[in-house]
Parts: sequence; structure tokens; C-alpha cells
Amino acid sequence: MIQNRLSFHQSSASLEVIGLPDYSNDENKDQISIISQWKLTIVDKPLIEGKIEHLGPIMDAFYIYSNLLIKNEIPIYESKLIDIKADNLHIHSIVLKSSKPNVKPLVLKIGNSLLSDTINCFDQLNESPKVRIKKTNIPTKIPKKLSFGLNKKVKFFNFFIPPFIAICSLILFSSSFIYFYSPLENIEKKELINPE
Amino acid sequence: MTIWKLRNNNPLRKSYVTNNIKLKEFDALIRITVEMSKYLYPYIREILKSKEDIEENSAIWNDFNRRFIELIKERFNIDSVRVKKLLNQDENDEIIIKSLLILSFCISNHGYQKLKNFLYDF
Repeated sequence: MIQNRLSFHQSSASLEVIGLPDYSNDENKDQISIISQWKLTIVDKPLIEGKIEHLGPIMDAFYIYSNLLIKNEIPIYESKLIDIKADNLHIHSIVLKSSKPNVKPLVLKIGNSLLSDTINCFDQLNESPKVRIKKTNIPTKIPKKLSFGLNKKVKFFNFFIPPFIAICSLILFSSSFIYFYSPLENIEKKELINPE
Repeated sequence: MTIWKLRNNNPLRKSYVTNNIKLKEFDALIRITVEMSKYLYPYIREILKSKEDIEENSAIWNDFNRRFIELIKERFNIDSVRVKKLLNQDENDEIIIKSLLILSFCISNHGYQKLKNFLYDF
């Protein structure tokens, strides 16, 4: 069976996806839902290729890293498959770890221009109506500072929201008693019964 | 004319006017920025690249930085501490690089949503 090939280009980077449509879902013959292979070519760098289970985590790694980079967080991303960290403001170091035993990790150094080219290739793939990518979960290590920040945010809301809701509901509940009990009226009634 | 007026909502500008920017206007500015980024991507990329190997391409970075500072001095309130930071050549590299990176990450068809998310996160 002839496999479909789709390529996404951005300046010095290009991404090629090879696969088949899912005929069980009545997909068009030029669609790719079952990815068998993908290749990421960056000019002057070694070819990066792998299976479908590697594509999702590598794309996620680039997206998370780029977010950390521009949000002034510590730009470090680590997982079983890929590590990305900043050497300085302009150069990023990528370590691709092979799933095969006795294969040394591939180390790449790319600048900001190649990083944005690569991310734009991934964007084109994500936005392409002709390709469907299933997400896979691989455990990742988010920098301590960031995870502390997230916990802190969650803890703050957990701490603040329950008493806030409690106070609001108390005010709402107690306000209804105004209509049931009026101390002034009661005093007047007592005076009428005992005029002395 | 409307866009010119909207620019004055920037508190760093000399001609800052305290108009409350509407959500529609904010969205429109983001869309214009994304379209400009798509158009200017080759230039943005070259500026980023020139800083990677500064010895070879320093002319591109120096030209961009000089023009950036000229524009800031011309149009921004240079008494503001934040503007002074933009003008300080020892400190402004990081701000410029990160701004260019944000623009270069938002040139896809969904770039509008990406840029909006980036801005809401700041």
C-alpha cells in the first residue's frame, strides 16, 4: 500500500510525516491518521526521525520549552526522551535520547532562529486538516521554581476561596432573617399588651 | 486614524491618553500584530540569527538596535524607569530578543490565539 507523505517547511527547518489514512473512519485517501514515520530536517544539523510515539512528546517538549523561555521562567525541559535547556539567551541545547540500548544520545545546539523555524513547522502540522495526531503521555520534569509557582497558585486559591464562599453564604443566609424578626416591632407589641 | 489613537493607550508613550481600550480594539491590535509578524518573519529571523553569531552578522543587530533606540527616544516618555530600561543597551538585549521570539512563534494560522494567550499570561 502506498503511504502518504506530507511536508511542512519554514526557512531552515522542514518536517515530513509519512503514514496512512484511517479507512475505518471513512477518511479521505490523502489524509494521515496512522503515522508510521516522521523526519525533522534542520539545515546543518543531523536528521531527527522517529516513530509516532516520539513525535507528540518531542512537539510538547518544544512548546513547553518555548513557553518557559518567553515567560522568564527557568528554560529547562527534561523527559525520558528529550532534554532542552538554554546555554545562553541565544543558543539552546537539545539532547535526544534513543529508546534503543547502547545508542548514545544525540546532542544538538540550535539558535533562536532555528528554534522558531522548528516551532513553526510543528504549528503547521498541528493546524493541518490532513494530519491527525494522537497525544501520548510521557512523564516530564518541570523546573522546581515553576512547579512551586503552580502549587503556590493552587494553594492560594484553596486557602482563599472556601472562607470567601462561607462569608458570602453567611451574609446571604442571615439577611433573610431581617424579614422574620424585627426587634422594634416586638417592643411595641409588648408595650401595647402591658401599657404600664 | 483609529489605530493611531489606539497606540496612545500605551502608558510608555509620550502621547499617552487614558482611554480604556475595548476588548474588540485589543483583539484588532493583536490581529494586526500577527499579520505584520507573518509578513516580517524573514527579517525577524535574520535579526535573531545575527545575535547568534555576533561576530559575523553584527551589522544587522547593530542597525536594528540603533533604530529601536531612536524610535523609543522619539516616541516614548524617556523619564519613565521602564523606558530607561529599554534604552539601556546592557539590559535591553533580553527584552528585545524575547519580544522578537514571541512574534516569531505567532506566525501560524492560529497565531492570533497564541499571541493572545502569551499576553494574558504576562
